[in-house]
Amino acid sequence: MNLQPKKGNFMRLLTLTRRSAIALAIAAPITLPAAIALAEPGAWSDEPVRIIVTFPPGGTSDLVARLLAKHLDENFGQKAVVDNRPGAAGTVAADYIQQQDPDGTALMIANNAPFTIAPTQFESLPYDPMADFTHIAYIGASAPGLFVKPDSGITTVAEFVDAAKANSVSYGSSGVGSISHILGKAVDAKLGIETLHVPYQGSAPAIQDFRAGVLDTFYDMVAQNSEMIEDGEAVAIAIAASERFPGVPDVPTFTEQGYDIVIENWVGLSGPAGIDPATAEKIRETTLAVFALPEVTAALEDLGITHKAMSGAEYTDFVKKQIDVWKPLIVAAGVQGK
Amino acid sequence: MDILANFMGGLATVLQPENLLYCFVGVFLGTFIGVLPGIGSMAAIAMILPLSFYLDPTAALVMIAGVYYGAEYGGSIASILMNIPGTPSSSITCIDGYPMAQSGRAGVALFVTSIASFGGGIIGMIVMAVLSPALASLALSFGPAEYFSVILLGLIAASAVSNGGAVKGIAMVIAGLMLGTVGIDLTTGDLRFTLGIPELRDGVNLVIVAMGLFGVGELIASIRANRAGRGQQEIDYSQFYPTRAEWRASIGPIWRGGIIGSFFGALPGTGQTVASAVGYAVEKKVSKNAANFGKGAVEGVVVPESANNSATQTAFIPTLTLGVPGSASMAMVIGALMIHGITPGPRVLTDHPDLFWGLVASFLVGNIMLLILNIPLIGIWVKLLQVPYKLMYPTIIVLICIGVYSLNNNVFDIWLTLLFGVIGYLMRMFRFEPAPLLIGFVLGPMMEEQMRRAMLLSRGDPMVFLERPISGALIAVTVCVLIFGLWSTLYGRRRSRRLAALAASE
Repeated sequence: MNLQPKKGNFMRLLTLTRRSAIALAIAAPITLPAAIALAEPGAWSDEPVRIIVTFPPGGTSDLVARLLAKHLDENFGQKAVVDNRPGAAGTVAADYIQQQDPDGTALMIANNAPFTIAPTQFESLPYDPMADFTHIAYIGASAPGLFVKPDSGITTVAEFVDAAKANSVSYGSSGVGSISHILGKAVDAKLGIETLHVPYQGSAPAIQDFRAGVLDTFYDMVAQNSEMIEDGEAVAIAIAASERFPGVPDVPTFTEQGYDIVIENWVGLSGPAGIDPATAEKIRETTLAVFALPEVTAALEDLGITHKAMSGAEYTDFVKKQIDVWKPLIVAAGVQGK
Repeated sequence: MDILANFMGGLATVLQPENLLYCFVGVFLGTFIGVLPGIGSMAAIAMILPLSFYLDPTAALVMIAGVYYGAEYGGSIASILMNIPGTPSSSITCIDGYPMAQSGRAGVALFVTSIASFGGGIIGMIVMAVLSPALASLALSFGPAEYFSVILLGLIAASAVSNGGAVKGIAMVIAGLMLGTVGIDLTTGDLRFTLGIPELRDGVNLVIVAMGLFGVGELIASIRANRAGRGQQEIDYSQFYPTRAEWRASIGPIWRGGIIGSFFGALPGTGQTVASAVGYAVEKKVSKNAANFGKGAVEGVVVPESANNSATQTAFIPTLTLGVPGSASMAMVIGALMIHGITPGPRVLTDHPDLFWGLVASFLVGNIMLLILNIPLIGIWVKLLQVPYKLMYPTIIVLICIGVYSLNNNVFDIWLTLLFGVIGYLMRMFRFEPAPLLIGFVLGPMMEEQMRRAMLLSRGDPMVFLERPISGALIAVTVCVLIFGLWSTLYGRRRSRRLAALAASE
């Protein structure tokens, strides 16, 4: 039995909602295709583009998608709508995208979960992360780090190693198989220590328990917790990025403290396999132009994302390499083949 | 006076035009849904949940809360006029409300229920404003062991004081616990009972279960059972205002109902239905007019309405200060806040004072709006009951489908809702209550998560639940509740049988 949503069902539902006035009020979030503008420079389709997000509204991926959609429309005359399809660690959205027409009107904000974690973590996937997709444009990455209590007196990774060897240390993560869990396992392996993993549903409840004194440490995106660092509620002793982050310049990297740990939480733009190379290139150029706008650059920085321009081939190669980078980490975390 | 200053700040927030508008939308929709027999506030919350994602968090919360307590106002209308409860908790109102209507006093009954609801709502609001800050500061030091004990108390309380047959009630709680285990195991990442369906990896969505069991299931049952306007009693508007004696008879019950309702509303696991049932039973014991209960006593409609309305306000106390929802509706409130990046818990009061105090103040504003909607505008709602169900129910089903679809933009969820609708209908046919199932479903996964976390942190030592003082005290209270439950089952057979018959008629 195939239970996957088909495009036909979605369109039928849209027409249905259009018929009923009450339904319209409820369905307000579904933007209806209004007057369709003719293609302008930078636009690649007369049809509105749907940007699928693998999370519910409100997270980083969603905000990136909304930034992109807004500026595609305002600056390049390309109508775009954000469509949230959360579920099963992003694999529901990825599976949906691979079934769409490769005409550039259905794209997704790609990230680690469905492309680099799921292929190793899940026993079977309805798609191939490389063959079933056109990876179009890299957007940027943020990086997680290690947070400890201010009163622990720990300020460097070396001191953390000593503390973890002397006493059992616990850490909170945003879930089994999440980036923060995998970073925790990578740190254990590189530092030769054993810490106690305590999974939560998302980073917010983990941070709440950290503040309540339940947890000794936690891993989370560093830039997003800059307020806690400034308020002196937590000390970020290291960030798992290749270089220090502009938003939090005082947090040293693991690498500069002598431990080679780099884990990036990247986002990019991908679509179904078979998008015509010329169209893909046009999408990439317009997308990069959006992320070069000063307003957008500033918004990305607030989200803790460092933007980098890559060619389409470089991005495709990047995703492929990321799968290999993550594989041993996921195996080490003990969550493969579920 | 801190509380008063905070409350005034909240009032300023809620009086902003946007928040006022959404407060009105909420209470209006709540009354609308409450009036219709068969579906309660849960269906309405599920339908507006997707809309709330696009609002400011305070406006979203104010609107959802408005639906929640608005439904309790509307629920009494069908109970009084047609002897069909609009919401499960207003089934108690039928007992005296319908006889009042039959004797030509429908107008008085509707008037006093509105006043009682208002009084109960305000009592609940005051309890929330006074109690929440204290509870939140206590909860700042809560760890997994304490949360586990609070939830355990809630679950035990729900099954011990629930008003159905004990065995069926416990069976439903357990069914809910089992349903809650579907999806990824949070501690190990293993898949449990997903049947190879990717959509089930994240478990079954609460909105789907609630919409299926309560929305679709109730609708199917209502189509069979009810006809629009059937047996509806006329309102004689010349006899709308209560007499001085009736006013005087109402004041005591409003207070007692409000206080009993506040208590059961704040206790996780119990809710408006238990509050109004207990309120009615207590009032019958203490009232001088006890002989007239069941024959159209004013006190008999005042108490349950005051109790269920105060319970809807205090239900927000554990939800916002602990992050522990007492009911499925409250779990949806938590979901709505999480979408906005706000984790309900002891930090809400300090990190988002606008949101918390705005909500408290909105109770005052919303209850005043409801008073206006339910006294001068009562005629609209009475007319609504005469709209043929063949037009009304298909519309609601369509709205439910849209609400469920827009959660994940996934058609699979609609099919799953339908499946739960059929299950809900069958449960109703065989007299199984869906409410305990839903409580097990909501609290079960949270309890498991906290228990395993506490065990991880204690390195496998189960004594942690007894050694930590707050947790130990909560466990002790739980044991007392359990003993009380067993005692009343053994010695109160007759009483529980009567309550069971009452629950079955819901």
